[in-house]
Amino acid sequence: MKLSETGETRVRGYLFVLGQSLQTFLPGDVARDAVREIESHIRERLDSADPQPDEREVVERVLQELGPPLRVAQVYSAELTVDEALTTGRAVAILRALWQLATTTVAGFAASLLLFMGYAVGASFVAIAALKPVFPNNVGLFVVDGVPHSFGALFPGPAGAQVLGGYWIIPISLGVGLATLVATHRGAKGFLSWWRERRRGFPRLTLREPAR
Amino acid sequence: MTVETWQEQLRRGGIELAILLAVASSPRYGLSIIRHLEEYTDLVVTEGTVYPILARLTREGTLLAEWVPDEAPHPRKYYRLTAKGRRDLDEMLGHWTEFAGKIDRLVEATRGKTR
Repeated sequence: MKLSETGETRVRGYLFVLGQSLQTFLPGDVARDAVREIESHIRERLDSADPQPDEREVVERVLQELGPPLRVAQVYSAELTVDEALTTGRAVAILRALWQLATTTVAGFAASLLLFMGYAVGASFVAIAALKPVFPNNVGLFVVDGVPHSFGALFPGPAGAQVLGGYWIIPISLGVGLATLVATHRGAKGFLSWWRERRRGFPRLTLREPAR
Repeated sequence: MTVETWQEQLRRGGIELAILLAVASSPRYGLSIIRHLEEYTDLVVTEGTVYPILARLTREGTLLAEWVPDEAPHPRKYYRLTAKGRRDLDEMLGHWTEFAGKIDRLVEATRGKTR
């Protein structure tokens, strides 16, 4: 079935949205290969379809059976980014996978919120350890009139504040920061593994042999 | 859990095995796999979800993908089982047969008691 200009525009529009959505999260060559495969699928379906009575109806049916382009892209990219994150274990890949799930699923949003907070807290403690030797009077526990005011790095510090904590806060902050980062990273990998297993949906059933 | 949710879980659990079975005898391209599954099962609800599964199985080394540009008016991406894929399929079939047999025995036992 040879498409009219209108039909061709509709198919190209679908593929454009699919390509743009895929490229948000996937490497360019992977996204292009996926779009090429989906285009092949659409052309093949249209070739074998009867154009009567209405070409538009046929095109819409083929695209509908394929699913909305955003949905297809979502499944493609979520599977790939999560796989990459778990296979490589790299922080960037894990953060990208978390971001992907946070923007597409409710469970992903909730878990990612907690995990991003964990990463932020860990990184903050490490930053405190790094900044203390450089800005000794701006990093530590700030006390105003004998009452603890805040902990961290402040530029400038609160008026009339006294900084408590000598260089001994460096190993403590570094230890707490690294421990938090490691725990959060493990939590992130655990969450991604759980999500992948759930996505695949294989029921984990173990049945005992019946008593004979 | 509703029956629909349970049915959806069964579908999801079975689709990967069904795809591997579809390419077990000879290489197939995406639409050919979908048509094969449509002919024998009702597992494919949304066609677009088959392609991400094919991409994952290829990444995992279960399938091997190859573009064939000049067989049809449009290039086709053919999938076939790798040696690892064939081992995985044999293992999955063993588990499936065992599982289905247990459920069948349970169903038979229940029917026998209710008669």
